[in-house]
Amino acid sequence: MKDIIKIAWRNLWRNKRRTLITASSIFFALFFAIFMRSFQLGTYGYMIEQSIESYTGYLQIQNPDYFDDPTIDNSFNISDEMIDRVKNHENIKAVAPRVETFALASTGTNSKGVMVSGIDPVAEAEVSNPEHRVVKYRFTEEAIKQLKNDNALPPEINKKIETFKYNSYSSTAKIELDLDFENSDAEKYIPVIEKYCRFESNYLSPNDDGVLIADRLSRYLKISVGDSLILMGQGYHGVSAAGIYPVRGIIKMASPDLDNKIIYMSLPQINNFLGLNNQITSMVINLRDKDEMFETQNELKKIIGNDKYVVKNWEEISPTLKQQIQSDNVSGQVFIFILYVIVFFGIFGTVIMMVAERKREFGVMVAIGMKRKKLSMILSAEMLFLSILGVLAGIIVTIPVLLYGHYYPLELTGNMARMMEDMGFDPIMPLALFEPYFFMQILIVFIMIILACLVPVRSIQKLDAIKAIHA
Amino acid sequence: MSVIEIKNLVKIYNGSAVQVTAVNGVDLTIEEGEFTAIVGPSGSGKTTLLNMIGGLDSPTSGTIVVDNTDLSTLNKKQLVDYRLHNIGFVFQAYNLIPVLTAKENVSFIMELQGTKKDILTQRTKNILENVGLGDRLNSRPNQLSGGQQQRVAVARALASKPKFVIADEPTANLDSKSTENLLDIMEELNRKENITFIFSTHDQRVVKKARRVIVLEDGKIVKDERRK
Repeated sequence: MKDIIKIAWRNLWRNKRRTLITASSIFFALFFAIFMRSFQLGTYGYMIEQSIESYTGYLQIQNPDYFDDPTIDNSFNISDEMIDRVKNHENIKAVAPRVETFALASTGTNSKGVMVSGIDPVAEAEVSNPEHRVVKYRFTEEAIKQLKNDNALPPEINKKIETFKYNSYSSTAKIELDLDFENSDAEKYIPVIEKYCRFESNYLSPNDDGVLIADRLSRYLKISVGDSLILMGQGYHGVSAAGIYPVRGIIKMASPDLDNKIIYMSLPQINNFLGLNNQITSMVINLRDKDEMFETQNELKKIIGNDKYVVKNWEEISPTLKQQIQSDNVSGQVFIFILYVIVFFGIFGTVIMMVAERKREFGVMVAIGMKRKKLSMILSAEMLFLSILGVLAGIIVTIPVLLYGHYYPLELTGNMARMMEDMGFDPIMPLALFEPYFFMQILIVFIMIILACLVPVRSIQKLDAIKAIHA
Repeated sequence: MSVIEIKNLVKIYNGSAVQVTAVNGVDLTIEEGEFTAIVGPSGSGKTTLLNMIGGLDSPTSGTIVVDNTDLSTLNKKQLVDYRLHNIGFVFQAYNLIPVLTAKENVSFIMELQGTKKDILTQRTKNILENVGLGDRLNSRPNQLSGGQQQRVAVARALASKPKFVIADEPTANLDSKSTENLLDIMEELNRKENITFIFSTHDQRVVKKARRVIVLEDGKIVKDERRK
């Protein structure tokens, strides 16, 4: 074995330039594959985190019939003792009860079908934190007119603000981004904008009798804070549900779909509205370690221990998001596959060349008594060393890049950043750390090397020593 | 005592258009310790005959018996073992392993045989000293002259303690001084250690040194001369 390793290692350096070029191609393939995959998975993870944590939650406890027939009649009562048992699980970060139903919202002149979500404002702050998304600033027509009259902003900024007419903001950071402010601009102009665009909008109190309305829905219904909203629908067991509610605040939802349809009200208020007796439609759960979701789901099933409730995960609740990620994932994998195919043929060409130019040498070795199997092992060992060189270099360079990109995510700018902000996400793209994908890429490189060796090894097994010596 | 017994050996190559009879009914016995040169014009069948004796090629008909073993009864793997333990090869173009030093090229064959390390080290040193390369043990082939490389090739051929050494045109790439030197070394090894050498050659200097000269023409032995 020692002589095989010795010959293989020295053979590797017979043509230093070729060895370095081939090892570099393995290095670059590994680096780009890991980097791309890390980008993809990091972004998916972030999107899931943002979108799941902003509303759905990682897990939900529901009535078994609610998933197929999500009506208020399939609501359920859950005891405090059961909630405590769930909360005591080590991976549970927060739980919040919810009642979800649909109703017709009307402001007199406009009406629309909406989703009404009854929440415990305090518990919900720990799960989806809607308070964080309460709108604080709006570029209303009146605000824009006042800004122009004040002349405190340069005309080009006023012009830009015009393009964002009716936009709502829950923080000044998004305003700075939309208006392309530098730090010095922000210090100068944000106080002026705050002066005219500040919007009085509040979060719900635990027994609040008002509602929070989603930003786009509020614009559709032409309703603002302090106005009244009429809700009509069907309550528990078919009773009619109707009520008039003051708007306490406007909320900007991460998902455009929810931003067009959701209205929040407190649990006591929705109980009154629907004629419920403290039932809920779901208990929303956020987790500490998202990677343990499936294990936690199974453990919660055991903790609950009866068939009055079911535990669903976000993939079951939001199959569309799952499918979107899956389809994007496939396109990324196809790209990496193409990259690997190109590199494979590079490696394959190198091996073929190595065999072709040493055919006479192989012939001599066989003639003097070296078994073909041992010769094949020398060639395979050379390729193994070559791939170890490329893979090691890839790992050494990739690890710091991944660590940096994970802890200091790429910050997007321009339209891309705006798009992310509009969807309610921070405009960043983090890299995923060392998940199984990382080791999978390394494994793929070694599989490629094995495949590339198959043809040359076969040709060695069939080697005709006389022809080879006279080649 | 005979080392090789060849009876009615025939080798026919079937080309796309014509059939070529490279060896045509050769009967030959090589005795232990012979220093034999096989000569003849190009295409007379010298190399084909040596390839068949060396187990690298198989005859169309006839038998080659080496030390009571009929080579035609051996399969591919057994032939590799046969070559490893019975034959030393010296090629026209030296054909040393370029990444190994002179010492490693010689010991490599013993490693394949599974020789113990201490024996292997000592024997490698002795053989290389015998061929006059005791001071070039750690030189790689590209650091040696053609003559030196061929001497390493001879040392490699002897390393496995073969029953005989086949040398196919061993001096064809060497200048006269190197040729003289190489022949002296091989002759001395033959005389002192009774090693059997079989050469194919065009080189008259080799023919002069040989104690048996076999002349081949059109695949047949036309002359078999023994000298004192």
